[in-house]
Amino acid sequence: MGLSHPDAMRPPRPAPTRAAPPTLPDGFWTRPRMRRYLLFDATGIVYLLVGLVTLRVAWALAAGPEAWQGLQASFRHPLYLAFHALTLASVLFVGVRFFGLFPKAQPARLGPLKPPPEPAIQAMLYVAWGVVTVALLVVLGGVWP
Amino acid sequence: MDDLQNKTFVVTRFDPDRDAAPRTQSYEIPCRSDWKVLDALNHIKDEIDATLSHRWSCRMAVCGSCGMNVNGEPKLTCKAALAGYGDVVEVAPLANFPIVRDLVVDMEGFMEKFQAVKPWIIEAKARAVEEGPHRQSPEQLEAFRQFSMCINCMLCYAACPVVAREPHFLGPAAIALGHRYNMDSRDEGARERNAIFRGEGTVFSCSYANECTEVCPKNVDPAAAVNQAKLNAVIDWATSLVLPRRGEE
Repeated sequence: MGLSHPDAMRPPRPAPTRAAPPTLPDGFWTRPRMRRYLLFDATGIVYLLVGLVTLRVAWALAAGPEAWQGLQASFRHPLYLAFHALTLASVLFVGVRFFGLFPKAQPARLGPLKPPPEPAIQAMLYVAWGVVTVALLVVLGGVWP
Repeated sequence: MDDLQNKTFVVTRFDPDRDAAPRTQSYEIPCRSDWKVLDALNHIKDEIDATLSHRWSCRMAVCGSCGMNVNGEPKLTCKAALAGYGDVVEVAPLANFPIVRDLVVDMEGFMEKFQAVKPWIIEAKARAVEEGPHRQSPEQLEAFRQFSMCINCMLCYAACPVVAREPHFLGPAAIALGHRYNMDSRDEGARERNAIFRGEGTVFSCSYANECTEVCPKNVDPAAAVNQAKLNAVIDWATSLVLPRRGEE
């Protein structure tokens, strides 16, 4: 059996008899729901790396045109391409998970207003995501302005 | 009887006077197709091994006593149909709780967390008898009704990955109960509870794994309560910055 934190759900006073420490089920991390959750947690590592890459981008911008061109050249390396694909997959995974859980975390009322039904909130999130993505593609693709 | 099927139950055993650590013991028993896991445990206790210890009471998913880990998943054993399991069924005490004996866990830590959220109606001024009963509209009731359906079975604590690693975390059921009172139109204690919710090991320790909601046998949706409580605690904090004397006479 795997062990939880030894003080998990510890009673405020010692029990009258000796108790065995709290446990976790064997292979709890292999259960499908827990695997998805751990995968979600693991995306934090990807975002940490994205943060470091962003710092590198900022440094290259400050260092001048040569550093910037060198950075762009390095981004064509297969390892960087793979990393960016992994980042995109992580963002999609976290986004879909977040959009699924977001509606029920909303307050039951906002003043006199009741929130719309959960499917409507989800639909609004996906529409907003789509609009922002298209807007970014338009701007970054040089189409506008 | 022709609908009997042999199943093997691998049951966690722990005798604090004899065992250094929990161990497992297997029992092969003939089971009826309409049995629940609790029926099998009671059969073992009554017919095979009277030393087996487990909690149960109502047998109809109301009392919340018979929560155990069945094949690694927290379940009310009175509700877990054996037909849904294979030939081997593993029954263990609820995860994340100290084990008192066999399938019985120590609930004191849970009770302490429960009391911490002040799970009662708080009134600024006691209501006089002549004022009559508190009246609530169906809409006001609906704001918290779902969160009042909790039967304190503790399955959500056994499923929660944060409970497993953060001993100070109040946990899903306690926060859901505090949120239930915060949403109650008769209650005036939301600021007190929100101050508790903003403390260490409370709502912001929740990483929204949603496991509590997945295992809840009464569809309370504790994950929704915890995450609504996060937003309310932040709004309350921000409001107190702008209106520090709000609520004072």
